[in-house]
Amino acid sequence: MNQLLLTKDIAEELRLFPHIIELGIIKNTSIRLDSFPKTTTTGIKCFFVSDGKFQWDVHTNQYTVYPGDAILLMPGQVFGHTIGTLEVGSFSWINIDAKQTGIDGFVLDKWTSLSEKEITSVSKILFLNSPVVITKFEDAGKILKCIQHELLSKEVGHYARVNSQIDELLILIARKITVQSNPGRDFPNTFMKLEAALRKDLSHQWTVEEMAALVGLGATLFNEKVKNYSGFTPLNYLINIRISEAIKLLKKKDESITDIALDTGFYSSQHFSTTFKKLTGYTPGEFRKNNSHNI
Amino acid sequence: MKCIITIELGTNAVRIFAFDLNGMLIDSMKGYYPTFHSQPDYSEQDPEQIFITMLYVLKNIMTETIKPKKYKVASICFTSSMHSVLAVDKHGVPLGNASTWADNRAKKEAKEISESLLADSIYNSTGTPIHPMSPMLKIAWMKKNQQDKFKLAGKFVSIKSYVIHQLTGEYMIDYSLACATGMLNIHKIAWEQQALDFAGISSENLPQLVSCFANAGTLKKAYQNSLGLNDDTKVLIGSSDGCMATLGAGVWNSDKATITVEDSSAVRVVSNKMWHDEKKRVFNYLITEDCFVSGGPSNSGGGTFEWYAKQFGDFTNAIDIESCVSSLIQEATKVKAGSEGLIFLPYLLGERAPIWNPDARGMYFGINIKHERQHFTRATIEGIFYEIYSIGKMLSEHRDISSLSVNGSFATMPFCAQMIADMFNKPVQITANPNSVSKGAFLLAATEMGIYKTLDEAASQIEIAETYLPAENNHKTYLQYFKIFESLSSKLEEEFMKIAELQ
Repeated sequence: MNQLLLTKDIAEELRLFPHIIELGIIKNTSIRLDSFPKTTTTGIKCFFVSDGKFQWDVHTNQYTVYPGDAILLMPGQVFGHTIGTLEVGSFSWINIDAKQTGIDGFVLDKWTSLSEKEITSVSKILFLNSPVVITKFEDAGKILKCIQHELLSKEVGHYARVNSQIDELLILIARKITVQSNPGRDFPNTFMKLEAALRKDLSHQWTVEEMAALVGLGATLFNEKVKNYSGFTPLNYLINIRISEAIKLLKKKDESITDIALDTGFYSSQHFSTTFKKLTGYTPGEFRKNNSHNI
Repeated sequence: MKCIITIELGTNAVRIFAFDLNGMLIDSMKGYYPTFHSQPDYSEQDPEQIFITMLYVLKNIMTETIKPKKYKVASICFTSSMHSVLAVDKHGVPLGNASTWADNRAKKEAKEISESLLADSIYNSTGTPIHPMSPMLKIAWMKKNQQDKFKLAGKFVSIKSYVIHQLTGEYMIDYSLACATGMLNIHKIAWEQQALDFAGISSENLPQLVSCFANAGTLKKAYQNSLGLNDDTKVLIGSSDGCMATLGAGVWNSDKATITVEDSSAVRVVSNKMWHDEKKRVFNYLITEDCFVSGGPSNSGGGTFEWYAKQFGDFTNAIDIESCVSSLIQEATKVKAGSEGLIFLPYLLGERAPIWNPDARGMYFGINIKHERQHFTRATIEGIFYEIYSIGKMLSEHRDISSLSVNGSFATMPFCAQMIADMFNKPVQITANPNSVSKGAFLLAATEMGIYKTLDEAASQIEIAETYLPAENNHKTYLQYFKIFESLSSKLEEEFMKIAELQ
């Protein structure tokens, strides 16, 4: 077995890159027992298979992975061979440190050139779709090879190139999985997934760009498709969900109107009141009074 | 200038249309709402979201069109899809979501009745087939499986009744939607005690029974203000989508039948008495005291072909599903009628009329080495219409039908309309207004206002835009294959049951 393994705090090559937990390559020529056990992922991990065929447990499912396939794992997800066997073939991987915030967000340190908004979008997409096997993703292999080369050769500009390659990898993964999981032929299905994601995180201040990124479309085409399908612009559709959820909470007596406003994604009780009244003719307070006979 | 607004609470979306008093379309808008499938067989919708979406779209059409064009809204007429049911507590607050017509959780209850002596007498009095879609069975299911919710429930209402109650404070249900609950005695036009007993409720737990012309109360002040309407705008209870599609197709007390094919399909006729089918396969919905819409619904239709297009269509140049469907249909025209002996059974979602078998499944039969994709494409469409034809055949056991009126986005495609004409060997007419549900609701509201004396007169206003005449040769070919189609559907009953169990 041929192996290259660079580990944070040990490998000299990673001294400048505290955000890389691990970078590795394995070229294995004979089956080895107890060499590839299931482990729980800590950072954002991406595997790329370049040779052979592997039967891996990816969290709760078992997959057969072929050359050209990549696997994305997020913190907490379990990955490895069912009984720890290392099969014949080659693969490489990188593990990137990212601090998790909330259920579907992470922050990256200063090394990245992604904007804060882009990080929010990418992290939502990665969390929503992972763990995932991404098929025919040769680009991931090329990027991992490039990062490895830069780390070992340390030519001028290697700090910038390694970091930009990691950015590139995260962006390509996000784009590839949204396209893979939202084939253009089934917009109703895509819309259903989007709608579920919005409901799951209704208090988030969604932007159109974020919603579009989630389903793998550019903002302009996304706007047009949503309008055509639902009759509403994406943001107006979101208001629909917000007000309907707010109505349910108003009818249950125990939550304050400010809390309801924030829970359903309005940025203030003022904003909630105005939007609610514009649509229903009632202020939230009046609406609550009219719909509770049990005081 | 006065106008009439129609509001259709459909399966996936609310569609609002505005007509002037001559029936000319002023504008239309839609708003989508989701269906949730939290478990297999469950199909639910959020009543609050439906209400808010309806309100939002109504407000948009008011501010963007009605007011700038200085129209005054004379009446608002409602229609909705059938068989929905929602439990509300004694204050009118929904206890969870509403279940839609596609909700099949009450399978066991349906079987229980079908196998009992009650089956005949309930069908005779209610005129509706025993099927899990029926609110009677869904309520019985809740009584057994969600006792806490059942005990809290003050009323069981349809989605339309709920939406109208939000607007006016009245709980009402029109005859046709009442029929769709499976609990209306259509001879006495009163709730059927046997059915109420089976559901475990009394008539107090249901909305007030009214005719489709009934005034459903006055808009609450707040909605008058937010919508820019006043208290002389009438709110009409209206009817169901199926009944209005029939009225809007101009099929009324005649020897015509309507065929509607959207995602799913139905064949309907109108008459002045219940059509009693010994095998209990036919539904009968009452529109007014002496007017019945009878027929059979099928789960297959445009949705079935969309499934085919998604799996086997070519998406490399197609922008969306519609363009993919039309290029497939282009391809199908190159194959002769009968698809050179390839037959498709369209039971991807089980089937209602005429076989009423939820376990039925789809298949391609007769594949040989010469069949290409275009044969499968044509066979898929033919299979969908063989099923429609078999419902039509069942109807023609009772009634002579001389011509057909076809509506719905799938059936009105010229290729499909011609296929229907050929299969039935009868002329097929397509009306000028493709949205026959809203057109029907307009005619209902206009009749209520006295613009037409009767619904008969209103129906006679419908203009025919196109007529397709049958081709005798194709009819003979289709008939040969239909015999095989029909016998496969009944012969495979045991295998359907076994495969459904394994799936």
